[in-house]
Amino acid sequence: MRSYMLMTPELVMLATALLAMFADVLPVRGRRVAAWIGAAGAAAAAIIALIVGPGAVTLFGGMLRFDSIAVLARVATAGLTAAYLLWLAGNGASIGRAREATALALLAAMGGMLMSGARDLVVLFLTMEAATMPAYVLIGFDRGDERGMEGALKYFLLSMVSSLVMLYGMAFLYGMSGTTVFDGLRVTTFGALGLIAAVLTIVGLFTKLSAAPFHYWSPDAYAGAPAFSVAFVSSVPKIAGVVALVRIVGVLGPQVRGLAGILLAVAVISMVIGNLAAFPQKDVRRLMAYSGVAHVGYILLALAAGTPAGSLAAVLYAVAYAVPSMAVMLIVAEEGPALDDLDGLLSRRPFAAWAMLVFLISLVGVPPLAGFFGKLYMFSAALAADLVWPVVLALVFSAVSAGFYFGIVRAVFFGQRPRAVRVHGSRNRAADVAIAICLLATVLIGLLAGPLLSAMGFALP
Amino acid sequence: MPYLLTTIVFLPLAAVVICAMLPKDLAGAAKWVAATFMAIDVVLVGWLVAAFDIKGGIQAVVDVPWVPQIAVRYHLGVDGISLSMLALSALLGLIAVVASWKVEKSAGTYFAMLMLLQVGMNGVFVALDLVLFYVFWELVLVPMYFLIAMWGGERRQYASLKFFLYTLAGSVFMLVGIIALYLTTGTFDVLQLAGPEASRAIAAVPGLAGWVFLAFFLGFAVKVPIWPLHTWLPDAHVEAPTAASVLLAGIMLKMGAYGFIRIALPVLPGAARASAPWIAALAVISIVYGAAVAFAQKDVKKLIAYSSVSHMGFVMLGIASGTAAGLDGAVAVMFSHGLVTGLLFLMVGMVYDRTHTRQIADLSGLSSKVPAIGGIFAFAAFASLGLPGLSGFVGEFLSLLGSWQSTLVPHWMTVVAAVGVLLAAAYMLWMVQRVILGEPSEAVSRIRDITPREVVYVLPLIVLIVVVGVYWGSLLRFVDPAVQGIVTILARVA
Repeated sequence: MRSYMLMTPELVMLATALLAMFADVLPVRGRRVAAWIGAAGAAAAAIIALIVGPGAVTLFGGMLRFDSIAVLARVATAGLTAAYLLWLAGNGASIGRAREATALALLAAMGGMLMSGARDLVVLFLTMEAATMPAYVLIGFDRGDERGMEGALKYFLLSMVSSLVMLYGMAFLYGMSGTTVFDGLRVTTFGALGLIAAVLTIVGLFTKLSAAPFHYWSPDAYAGAPAFSVAFVSSVPKIAGVVALVRIVGVLGPQVRGLAGILLAVAVISMVIGNLAAFPQKDVRRLMAYSGVAHVGYILLALAAGTPAGSLAAVLYAVAYAVPSMAVMLIVAEEGPALDDLDGLLSRRPFAAWAMLVFLISLVGVPPLAGFFGKLYMFSAALAADLVWPVVLALVFSAVSAGFYFGIVRAVFFGQRPRAVRVHGSRNRAADVAIAICLLATVLIGLLAGPLLSAMGFALP
Repeated sequence: MPYLLTTIVFLPLAAVVICAMLPKDLAGAAKWVAATFMAIDVVLVGWLVAAFDIKGGIQAVVDVPWVPQIAVRYHLGVDGISLSMLALSALLGLIAVVASWKVEKSAGTYFAMLMLLQVGMNGVFVALDLVLFYVFWELVLVPMYFLIAMWGGERRQYASLKFFLYTLAGSVFMLVGIIALYLTTGTFDVLQLAGPEASRAIAAVPGLAGWVFLAFFLGFAVKVPIWPLHTWLPDAHVEAPTAASVLLAGIMLKMGAYGFIRIALPVLPGAARASAPWIAALAVISIVYGAAVAFAQKDVKKLIAYSSVSHMGFVMLGIASGTAAGLDGAVAVMFSHGLVTGLLFLMVGMVYDRTHTRQIADLSGLSSKVPAIGGIFAFAAFASLGLPGLSGFVGEFLSLLGSWQSTLVPHWMTVVAAVGVLLAAAYMLWMVQRVILGEPSEAVSRIRDITPREVVYVLPLIVLIVVVGVYWGSLLRFVDPAVQGIVTILARVA
C-alpha cells in the first residue's frame, strides 16, 4: 500500500488524464474544460511530488525509487505540464480536440515521471514507451496535414527502431548479468561486449533525446507538426529522458570502459551540428529542433564528467532548458511557425515579445536566468573532470548560439513588415498566465537555485 | 549601513519595474521616475563617499550565502577604487537620464533599459563574488543591445549585434576562468582568492594561473577594448543614442579595466607580472593606433570613439606597470575619461540634435555661432588631450611615470606611449580647429545655443574635470590606499 502512496503523483496524473479524456460526459460543458481539469491535476501532482519528497524506499521489489533527482524530474515534469495545459486551456478552441491533447500530454508526462524513478531495465523501457507513445499522436495531431503525417510517421518509425535497438542492448546486458535491476547490473563485470551492449542501449536514448548524429528525425518531425505539439514534445519528455540517461550511465559508466568517451564524442558532435545547423533555419520549429540538439550536447558533456555533480547538473539543465524552450514554442504556436510570422510581435503583444527575449537569452545562458546557472553547474562539473577543451568549445558555442537566437529577437523587435494581423479571437488570459509562469520560472530557477535545491532534498556539501 | 550598497545597486531596478509598467499614455512620466530614482541613487552614493573611511579597506560589506551548494555568495563591498567607479557610474547615469529628456519613442521602455543598464554597471563595481560579478557583467549586455538597436542610428542592427556577440564571446572565456578558479580553490570570493591560501592552491597546479589569466584577459580586453579586440567599439559608439554613448564610453569600458585591477591582478599576480610586457605592448599599440586612426575620421563621434581606444591604452599601460603610480594613474585616467568623454559625447549629441550631422566637413564655426556650445566643446577637447590643470593630465602623467618606473615594462614602450600624448593633442586640436573655429558652415548657421536643461547636465562634469585637474589629491586619496594593497600583492610574487 505504501508503494502506491509514494506513487500518488503519477496516479493523480493518470486519473486526471482519464477524466480529461471523458470530459464530454461531465456536467460542465465546453472545449476548454478538459484542459482546465488537466492543468489543475498536473499542478496538484507537482505539489504532491514535492511534499512526498525523496525517499530511500524502493517500490515493487526494487523496480522504482524516487530519490532527489527523481523528485526534481517529477516536480518539473508535472509542473511544466500544468503550465502547458493552462496554455491549452487558453487556446483550446483554436486547436480543436483539446480533450485528446490534454489526455495525451498528461499520459506522456506520467510516463516520464515514472521513468525518472525507474531502477530496472524493463521498467525503464516500459515507462519510456509510455512517455513516447502519446508523443507520436501529438506530433501527428493534425490529421488533415500531409506533412504532419509524414513527420509523425518518420518520428514513429525511427523511434520504434531506436526502441528495438535499445531493447537489443538491454537483452545483452541481461544476458551478461542475469538481472535487469540496476543494483544488480552495478556489481556485474562486463567484458568487451559490455561496451557494445551499453552503446546499443544508450543509442536508443540518444535518438529519443535527438542527440547528433541521431537527431535527423527531429527537424522534419517538428516542422510537420503543429507548433503546440512541438512545444510539449520537444521539451517536457526530455527531462525524464535525461534522467534515464543519468541512470544508465551511472550504472554502466564505472563498469564499461570507453563509455565516457562515447558520451563526450556525441556531446561535441551535437553542440557543433545543433548550433551551426540552426543558423539558416527560417522555420522556428526547425530552429528550435536544432537548438535542442545543441542543448542535449551540453547536457551530455556534463554526463561525460561521470560524477554525481555532473548528473545532478545535467538534470537541472534539462529543466532549465525545457521551461524556456516550451515557452518559446507556445508563443510560436500562437503567432505562426515561420520566422516572418513573428515580425512586429513587439507592437502587437509587448508582453509576449519581452517574455520571448527572456526565454531566448536564458537559452543562450546569460545570467541571472535559469540557463546560466544550469550551464554554470554543468560546466563546473565537466571542468572538474578535466574536460577543459570541450567546455571551452561548449561556451564558445553558447556565444555562437546567440547569433541564431537573435534572428528571432530581430524579427520580434525589429521586424517591420506590416501584415494582416491574425485574429486570435479565441485566445484568453489563461494562455498569457501560462507564459508568465514560464517567465517567472526562468527568472527564479536561477535566482533561487539554493533554496530550491534544498527543498528537493539535495544535501549541502 | 548593511543595506546601503544593496540599495544603491538595486534602486534603479525599482525604476525599471515602474517604467516598464507605465501605461502608454503615461510614458512621459518615465523620465521623471528614472531621474528621481537616479537622483536618490547619487545622494546615497554621496553619503557612502562621505562616510567612507579612507584607511578602512573594504567597507559597507554585505556577505550572505546565495547558492550554498556551490559556495556562491552575495558579497558586496567597496574600497577606494570601486567607490570612485561607483560614484562615476551613478553620476553619469543621472546625467544620461537628463540628457535623454527629449526621447519620446517608446519612452517607458527606453528609460527601463537605461535603468537596467545602471543596475549592471553599479553592481559590477561593488561585487566581490565572481559569479555575482559575472551576473552584473552580463546584465549590461541586453539593455545596451536594445538601447543601440532600438534608438540608434542607421546601422544600429549591425552595430548592436556586433557589440553583443563580441562581448558575450569574450565573457564566456572569463566564465571558464571563474569556474577553474572555483574548482582549484573552492571559493568564488574575490578577497579570499587574493589571499595566501588560495594563491598556494592556484600555484600548486602547474600552468593554471597562466591559462586562467588568459581567460580573464579575453573577457576584460574586449570590454576595455584593447587592440585588436576593439573593432566593435567604433560601430557601437557611432550608432548608439547619445546617452548610451556616454554610458558606453564613460562606464562600460571601465568595467574591463576594473576587472583587471580588481580580479586579474590580485588573484593571479604571478601571471599578471609575467604577461605585463605583452599587455604593455598591446596598450602602446592601442594608444598609437587609436590616435592615428582618429586623425582619419570624418565623423566627430567616430573620432571620439577612436580617441577612447587610445586613452584606454594609457589605463592598460598603468595596469601593466604594476607600480603604485601606474595603477593610481590607471584609475585616474578611468575616472577622468569617464567625465571627459562623457562630456564630449554630450556635446556631439547637442550639435547633432541641432544640425543633424556629425560630419566634420559639414560643421564649422561653432564658437562664433553658438559660443557656449563651442566653448564647452573646446573645453572638453582640451581636457581630453591632457591639458595640465584639467583632469585628463593627472592620470596620463602618472600612468607614464609608473610605466617608466616599472621593471616590467621596457622603457622604449613608455617613450612610444608618450608620443601618443602628442598625437592626442594633434588630432584633438585639429578637430577643434575644423569644427569649433572658423566661419560658421551652412549647417551651423541657424542653430540655437545651449538650453538651461543642457547646462544642468554638463555643469557637474565641467566642475569635476576642473576640480580633479587642479586638486588631484581629492581623487587619489581614495584610490591610493587600495592601490597600495594590490601593489603589495604583486610585490609578494616578485
